[in-house]
Amino acid sequence: MLDQLLQLVFNGLVTGSIFAIGAIGASLVWGVLRIGNFAHGDYMALGAFTTFTANVLLGLPLVVSALLGVAATSLFAVLAHQLVLKPMRGRGLTSVFIVTVGLAFVIRNTLFLVFGSGARRFDIDQAEVYVVGPIRMSPGQAITIVCALIAIGLVGWLLSSTNIGRSMRAVAENSDLAAVTGVDTDGLATITWLITGALAGLAGICLGLVQGTFDASFGAYTLFLIFTAVVLGGIGSAYGALGGGLALGLVMEVSTWDGFAGGLDPRYKLILAFIALILMLLVRPEGLFGKARIV
Amino acid sequence: MLEFWLFVLATAGIYTIFSLGLLVQFGIAGLPNFGNGAFMAISAYAMAISVVNGLPMWAAAPVGIGAAVLFGLLLAIPTVRLRSDYLAVATIAAGEIVRYLALNLQELTGGAAGTVNLLGPGIAADYNSSWLRFQSGVRGLISNLVGQRVPSDVAFIAILWPVALLLLAAVWYMVRSPWGRTLRAIREDETAVAALGKDVFAYKLQAFSVGAALAGVAGLFFAWQVSSFSPDDFRPTLTFYAFVIVILGGKTNVWAVPVGAVLFAGIFAGTRFLDFWPLSVFASGDRAYLRLVLVGLGLIVLVIWRPQGIFGNRREDALET
Amino acid sequence: MKPKDAILSASHVGMRFKGLVAVDDVSLAVARGSITALIGPNGAGKTTLFNCLSGFLPGAAGSVVFDGRRIDGLPPHRRSRAGLVRTFQIPRIFHRLTLIENMLVADRAQPGDALFGCFMRRGATLARTRAATEQARDLLALLSIERLADDYAGTLSGGQRKLLELGRVLMTDPKMILLDEPMAGVNPALGGKLLERVEHLRQERGITFLFVEHDMEMVMRVSDRVVVLDQGRVIADGPPDTIRADLRVIDAYLGRADLGASA
Repeated sequence: MLDQLLQLVFNGLVTGSIFAIGAIGASLVWGVLRIGNFAHGDYMALGAFTTFTANVLLGLPLVVSALLGVAATSLFAVLAHQLVLKPMRGRGLTSVFIVTVGLAFVIRNTLFLVFGSGARRFDIDQAEVYVVGPIRMSPGQAITIVCALIAIGLVGWLLSSTNIGRSMRAVAENSDLAAVTGVDTDGLATITWLITGALAGLAGICLGLVQGTFDASFGAYTLFLIFTAVVLGGIGSAYGALGGGLALGLVMEVSTWDGFAGGLDPRYKLILAFIALILMLLVRPEGLFGKARIV
Repeated sequence: MLEFWLFVLATAGIYTIFSLGLLVQFGIAGLPNFGNGAFMAISAYAMAISVVNGLPMWAAAPVGIGAAVLFGLLLAIPTVRLRSDYLAVATIAAGEIVRYLALNLQELTGGAAGTVNLLGPGIAADYNSSWLRFQSGVRGLISNLVGQRVPSDVAFIAILWPVALLLLAAVWYMVRSPWGRTLRAIREDETAVAALGKDVFAYKLQAFSVGAALAGVAGLFFAWQVSSFSPDDFRPTLTFYAFVIVILGGKTNVWAVPVGAVLFAGIFAGTRFLDFWPLSVFASGDRAYLRLVLVGLGLIVLVIWRPQGIFGNRREDALET
Repeated sequence: MKPKDAILSASHVGMRFKGLVAVDDVSLAVARGSITALIGPNGAGKTTLFNCLSGFLPGAAGSVVFDGRRIDGLPPHRRSRAGLVRTFQIPRIFHRLTLIENMLVADRAQPGDALFGCFMRRGATLARTRAATEQARDLLALLSIERLADDYAGTLSGGQRKLLELGRVLMTDPKMILLDEPMAGVNPALGGKLLERVEHLRQERGITFLFVEHDMEMVMRVSDRVVVLDQGRVIADGPPDTIRADLRVIDAYLGRADLGASA
């Protein structure tokens, strides 16, 4: 039973890392640019499918394909910003949200049209298992752990040690103040989307690897878990999103542990996450770790 | 071709009622409720469950609407004070909770297989026979009137559309009444409305409930039109479609709703039934995706370049804050 | 002042934000039918005090009695209903409603304002709409913006928005009005008319005014009494002439030369 718990904790950390990678970008966009991006899950799917194209259809190595997928998603996010979201500047929060709903429909169903509705998989041996002590690990999980460490390290460095990162945090905390102090909001928006797109693409690839198979809607299914992680960590806080993602992943996996009153029926995991999301929005939109702000 | 137009009209009638609710909530009161489809689901399920458990249809229908309003209040009381993007996310999540519960509470709802399993697997549950009797009565009446046997869809439409138009007129009158004016003022600046002595929270609850009730009516007709439905009929896309219709009409224009609904249902059904170039390029299974790509593009184009909708005036919307 | 003469009396009102004291133990009584000015340097807590009085800052300490009733603890709309109505420093108008509609929203005798009221009391609703529209047009005429009556409020200039907001407040038939910088952005000629109007309303309808203003000339001309706030505390309180002479005030306010410098 303890072995089961350890395995669940490990699985939770893996899914949690994916949530975290996805949530960091979504949180930055929501906090810095005031866009609750409904298409974020579909950006993840885009990352997975561009990687799939390079890896399976063109036969490139997985690592190269993944880099291509990340780059493609990143570019797409910037393109969507320039074409669709930038013209929405100054409009209401709801209007912007609705545009991202439209964007989500376009991406998801274009992927369905191009790749069909069948389940897809990367060119990787899914049957292989690494055993480390009591923990059994799939290659996808191993890759996810490595990717998460690299991505989180890079983002942490970017936010803490570069000017652009510091500007982002300043805007996320107080956009009026940042405007007064002369932050280049246009350039900032582009770079925020560049990072967000790359992270979303990476999260999609990792999720595809861990799940084994995926179709064009698998990102959309994850969207609300990503949003839950964002809100748990406090909208606009990258470190919060990291914590929120890991916490959500752990709770969702460990809640099914037998030692935990027989374990929660996995069918209700999603419902629990949604309830957590609504409750957090109601009670602590500044996040579990955030400090309350005067509105 | 007749089959095509009957389908379009039936779908559009249901969407008209459903979208009217969203117009009150979102267009007038400024509450972007992305979970309105859940109210439709709750009404449909409450009605079907009541009938299967022995309630007559005409008593079960108000139970359905009542359940939708009750759930509307339950959702609205904590959430209507939220910032609009938080409200949007919270309401989609609430809608999804309802759908997942309907999927998982199999004893109550029949689960993923749909309402045919309402009485448990193996017994074909039927909530619809008294409606069908009523509908065939109407069909007979119309057939006598026109002197030839009409399809049963004609009877459905002949019941649905008068109800839709009646509700449309009622909503139109309410929207331009002082009550509607106060809701529009709340949409513009709720702090100022409170300062003038109006209970903003109560108004928001009222707007939310009216929207939920209309979604409830739409849910009943939806349930009557099909003979078995399942949780997947109430995916979030359902509500997104209504947003398209409301935005198409310029968000506050009540009379544009049926036009938008017919247009939307036409595109919807067109990609399903019609078969000419360029549609013939796509396999029939792919057309659903094509349709959704078009819906998405339509939303983007409308909101960015024609926020006033297809009939609206540009001036008013330029003042959006 | 004896309590019965005061329409509004606030005792020991306090508000702090995260340790920062914005309003510090303010006690204040406003005589019925008077015009009282609230002045002080920027950040003195004038608007915060307004928010405490009108209920927009829940959690303020102290008690507020208005027209013989405790109103602290009541939500903003209930205080407004009691007859204590406020305007805002940056006018809050309904952009996509016309001026007339803006005014009609403030009408409190409208039976059609209730859900289904337009069906259940159709005749009364229509009759009240006619009467209220007439009243609204008169008020707009008084404020010299009646020719814009059917324009969207979002097209108004800053000064016109101030006037519309005042008109809206008057539609509620208030007992007392809290005006937050009524003259900011209003052109001087119109400002003069506005002042006359305030005095007229006080005389004619017995409305009490408490207003925040930076324009010292206006303050000294119309007010019966001036209350000076600095760092959240009342530092002086008396007739305009006394205040003018009060050295503490000169130090706290005039001496800093930020008089009327900004909103």
